[in-house]
Amino acid sequence: MNSFIAFIMGPMVWISAIIFVGGLLFKGISIIQSVRQKEPYIFSYMTVKHSLRSMGAWLVPFFPKSTRLRPVYYAISYLFHILLFVVPLFLASHIVLINEAFQVSWPALNDGLADWLTLLVIAALIFFAVRRQMVPEITYLTSAIDYLLILLVLLPFVTGFLAYHQWFAYRWMVVAHVLSGELMLIIIPFSRFSHMLTAPLTRAYMGSEFGNVRHARDW
Amino acid sequence: MKPWKRKFIHRGNKMKKWTICAVVLGLLSAAGWVVVFAQEDQYLERLDSWAFESPRRPGAVFSHDDHIMDLDDDCSICHHVYEEGELVPGESSEDYYCSDCHSLKVSPDNKMPLEAAYHNLCRDCHFDRGKGPVLCGECHIKE
Repeated sequence: MNSFIAFIMGPMVWISAIIFVGGLLFKGISIIQSVRQKEPYIFSYMTVKHSLRSMGAWLVPFFPKSTRLRPVYYAISYLFHILLFVVPLFLASHIVLINEAFQVSWPALNDGLADWLTLLVIAALIFFAVRRQMVPEITYLTSAIDYLLILLVLLPFVTGFLAYHQWFAYRWMVVAHVLSGELMLIIIPFSRFSHMLTAPLTRAYMGSEFGNVRHARDW
Repeated sequence: MKPWKRKFIHRGNKMKKWTICAVVLGLLSAAGWVVVFAQEDQYLERLDSWAFESPRRPGAVFSHDDHIMDLDDDCSICHHVYEEGELVPGESSEDYYCSDCHSLKVSPDNKMPLEAAYHNLCRDCHFDRGKGPVLCGECHIKE
């Protein structure tokens, strides 16, 4: 059992990190290559200025018009996306592991606060799932895979929460936590989670077309 | 449209409500189960964490007697001596506190801060011997 844990907390972390980074890199390169082949004229009006302007505008909460039309959804979505990164990256237990592996360290969240923020992430994910059931136009666009992906993000947070509290089956909870985290990393390049790469590309394209061709705003 | 997708979209409202009810009930009963079985009093021998300024976790569960037995009275396996970064074989350091050499922060005299010293010594030995706790909460059991 210890050797299994050593594997999932050792080589398997590297394997999933490589698939995550390599997969996203491959995806990015193949997107740019296919644009080069099919619609190379896009590059004639893409500019760094308009790309960054669009990204910046969409990073300011409630600045884009369409985010103001659904304030509750966007408030939860903004918060969720920030916490999705902040909670795991600034969690004391994770920083201890990183420090022992790479001798680098940074300030950690208070454990009690991180605990509540984890519950917020879980609540947001449940909200996303319920919203898919409740709002007809979103139900229409929803397939089983969308719920599966929500479950995939839910798992590392729920198992991490339960492991922190050591409520039951601690060893298995940590194993499930590590494996589900790694699974999530591996799935990112091959699923809609790759919007962590493609969303900025969309903003770059839209920002350039609206800004540089139509001379309009895209927010 | 793929048939499995179509089925999902045209599922009736009644069905949806039942799904939501089932999910909510399932989550609630899981939470209840957790709360009921979480309470359990136990006495555990622990390491004293006085050398740490503001420990985030309770001292690790540790039985000195069990370790003496399992390590055949070879104190130097844990109570080791390092000189200029090299392990001095045969020398042992029972008369010192771990924190006498391992300060809290990395310094020129000490490459291995106290927390990492404990973690590496305990966990790596447990991994090497395929025996003993290796995960955070297996030593730092909640009080």
